[in-house]
Amino acid sequence: MNLESVIFAILGIVAVSGGIVTVFARDVSRMAMGLGTFLVAVAGFFVYWGATFLGIVQLFVYIGGVLVLMIFAIMLVHRSPDGSPTIETRHDVAAIAVAGGLFFLVVTALRGAVPDSVDQGITSGPAELNEAFLGPMLTHFEMGGVLLLAVLVAVVVILGGDER
Amino acid sequence: MAAFLDLGWLVVLLPMLLAVVVALFGRVLGRFTPAVAILAPLWVLAYGVLSLVEGLHDAPRSGSVEWLTVGAADSLTVGWAVDGLTAVMLVVVGLVAALVVLFSVGYMHGENGLPRYFASLCLFTAAMSMLVVADGLVGLFIGWELVGACSYLLIGFWFTRPAAAKAAVKAFLTTRVGDVGLLLALALLWREVGDLSYAGLFAAAPSLAPATVTGASLLLLVGAIGKSAQFPLQIWLPDAMEGPTPVSALIHAATMVAAGVFLIARTWPLFSLSPDALAMTLAVGGLTAIGAAAAALVQTDIKKVLAYSTISQLGFMFAALGVGAWGAAVFHLVTHAAFKALLFLGSGSVIHGSGTQELEEMGGLFRKMPVTGVTWLIGAGALAGLPPLAGFFSKDEILHDVALAEPVWAILLFGASLMTAFYVARTTRLAFFDAYRGDGHPHEGGWSMRLPLIALATLAAAVGFAGAWLAETIGAHHGSLDLRVAAASTLLAVLGLLAGWKVAGAGHPGLKQPRLAALADLMRQGWGADRLVERVLLAPVASASQFLYRFVDRQAVDGIAEGTAPFARRVGRAFSSLQSGDAQWYATMLGAGAVALLAVVSYIGRGL
Amino acid sequence: MSLLVITVGLFSLGLYGVLTRRDLVAILASIEVMLGAATLLLVGLAAAGTPMGTHEGAVEATGVMVIVLAAAEAAIGLALVISVARRFKTTRVDELAEVKG
Repeated sequence: MNLESVIFAILGIVAVSGGIVTVFARDVSRMAMGLGTFLVAVAGFFVYWGATFLGIVQLFVYIGGVLVLMIFAIMLVHRSPDGSPTIETRHDVAAIAVAGGLFFLVVTALRGAVPDSVDQGITSGPAELNEAFLGPMLTHFEMGGVLLLAVLVAVVVILGGDER
Repeated sequence: MAAFLDLGWLVVLLPMLLAVVVALFGRVLGRFTPAVAILAPLWVLAYGVLSLVEGLHDAPRSGSVEWLTVGAADSLTVGWAVDGLTAVMLVVVGLVAALVVLFSVGYMHGENGLPRYFASLCLFTAAMSMLVVADGLVGLFIGWELVGACSYLLIGFWFTRPAAAKAAVKAFLTTRVGDVGLLLALALLWREVGDLSYAGLFAAAPSLAPATVTGASLLLLVGAIGKSAQFPLQIWLPDAMEGPTPVSALIHAATMVAAGVFLIARTWPLFSLSPDALAMTLAVGGLTAIGAAAAALVQTDIKKVLAYSTISQLGFMFAALGVGAWGAAVFHLVTHAAFKALLFLGSGSVIHGSGTQELEEMGGLFRKMPVTGVTWLIGAGALAGLPPLAGFFSKDEILHDVALAEPVWAILLFGASLMTAFYVARTTRLAFFDAYRGDGHPHEGGWSMRLPLIALATLAAAVGFAGAWLAETIGAHHGSLDLRVAAASTLLAVLGLLAGWKVAGAGHPGLKQPRLAALADLMRQGWGADRLVERVLLAPVASASQFLYRFVDRQAVDGIAEGTAPFARRVGRAFSSLQSGDAQWYATMLGAGAVALLAVVSYIGRGL
Repeated sequence: MSLLVITVGLFSLGLYGVLTRRDLVAILASIEVMLGAATLLLVGLAAAGTPMGTHEGAVEATGVMVIVLAAAEAAIGLALVISVARRFKTTRVDELAEVKG
């Protein structure tokens, strides 16, 4: 077992446990912490694979943006009088069947397509990313900008329209 | 200019685009809507005129794209081609449509739903251009159906009036009978030739089996009969007068109803190979010409007179096609477009000014509406065939050609022109002369209504002299004026006019006799064609439906159906627990479906 | 193999959360898990040198796009959650059920 496998295993364990906490935690603040752990682990994967820039974006946008936003929303919304709110789950059996079935089927279907080891790594840096965004993916880039603008307006409309 | 002319497909696309713009932004455009809408016909007109100016003696301009591939070898192409006939039709369509849009500004002022109206007109212009510039039967058929749809939309413009809604449906369904014929013709030709472009069809036509040619030609004729309101599918056109009058002028007089004539003229190299189809065309045209003219004699509604007159004049064109004089038919199509659009717009002006369509409530309008009166007289003279107005030349050419080929049918057509002069004079006197019988204050419309009348009157007076040029442009034979025919028809026209004038002044003394009155009633209802359709077509269908209802439906189907209901209710109750209103449960079911599908693909699909 | 198991496992885990959590915020969090798992698989494949890895710049750019989309989705979703909470005084989907059959 070499160092790479160890790092991979550690990141994997952290990511999965973060995911599990996110999905199963009864307490909202614990859920948010689980999600944060998961997102940091994903960023760790990115950095470990050499996609440093992507990892940084992941940290900035998710941890700095989405997660904070989510915590704000939790604070705004969950003001139940009896202290800590609970999050229950329901029809677990069907959901387990669906999620488990999906897992099994996708893993068996893609088994041959995904290589076992992730040893090559990503050698491209921000320069290539820049090239991609200004070259073949320029349309995506522009669409992303337009989408964010639309989202901005939409959020204002959704929340502003409710004041009345 | 050549570069402009190479953009033939824009003749269709630009008006279509304008239709969308007018439909979407009509409310924003407000009173500028007509100014935008008129660009569509003007564009078509400009293209047609420039094509004629440029000259079409070289190879006709064309272009095409592959639409869909059928099998390995055959592919369906849609394209455009502009030759003399096409350019002439584009000029007719563009000019009449532009004047109609202009006229509508005054006539439709203050109506609700004007964006819808003008958008439909634009769409109609686009569809008619498509019908005309298509380089094959596929494109023509698309345009053919689209003009029918526009006709439906515009007849039913006042859809809150039950009569208008009914008339729209009737027009749509009746022409649909003809469209089925056209579609079958396409199918037959596709099977036999494998190519529906005109060039391919005409190249293959001489080597086709005679039965195929005759079958295809007769089916094309059925399509033309439906669109051009010929016997026995003429019943929709009088009812179509429920639409706004400018629409009647454009669609139901000048352009769409002439599409049947255009279809046969366009497919002439194929159509003319079948003597049977030609004989059939002559018979249909001759019968329609005289039958509709007779029906027009006794109408009391000014628009109905014009409607039957249109059917009758289209009958003249069909008769000309039937004796092989397709050039004369197209010539009459052009002159008829001018003077019949003029008469319809004139009647629109009368209706607008006097507030009624009934001839009984008019009279003496000549003094009150001088512009309408003078232009109407020019149009009426052209329709009656007085020299030197447009109708004289084109009708004489038809009469001459038919007289040479089929003297018996020529006598019928001479009778029809006599009747034409008669109803023209009668209608003119009832509407414009003697004392005013209504109780309104008739007045002339604004400039937007007067200008189209004057323009069309000029054309109706002048376009007859363009016969030789037209024949050369479309590449048809042009017969010189036969003095005997001209003299005979002029004499008949004058006689008819005098008789009609006299009868209109005398207030129908002859109709006091009950037998004549009964005949007149029958004629007024278009020879009872509607009732005939009711008896022959509707009654059997209705009794068959009764039978089906009584025995098949009540006994067999209901037996099953009524047993089904409790069963379904039980099943439904069992399944209703799934519809808990719980979005996550729905999502779970969705996921289960996706997993099942994935499983099917992974395991069963692999074996395939 | 382990990459595939981890990412698909996280994806299924997130799906399970979406299907079972009763709180709107928790559902959103689960969706984030699903999105993260998908991005992880994409970038992992590129890092493993599979054919799609030949355009590494493009893969990384796609990753950025996914993150942007996720951020947009979270913003809209949370705005809706707040809006719902204001109007119905709850964010529990079982109390919001109105699409009843």
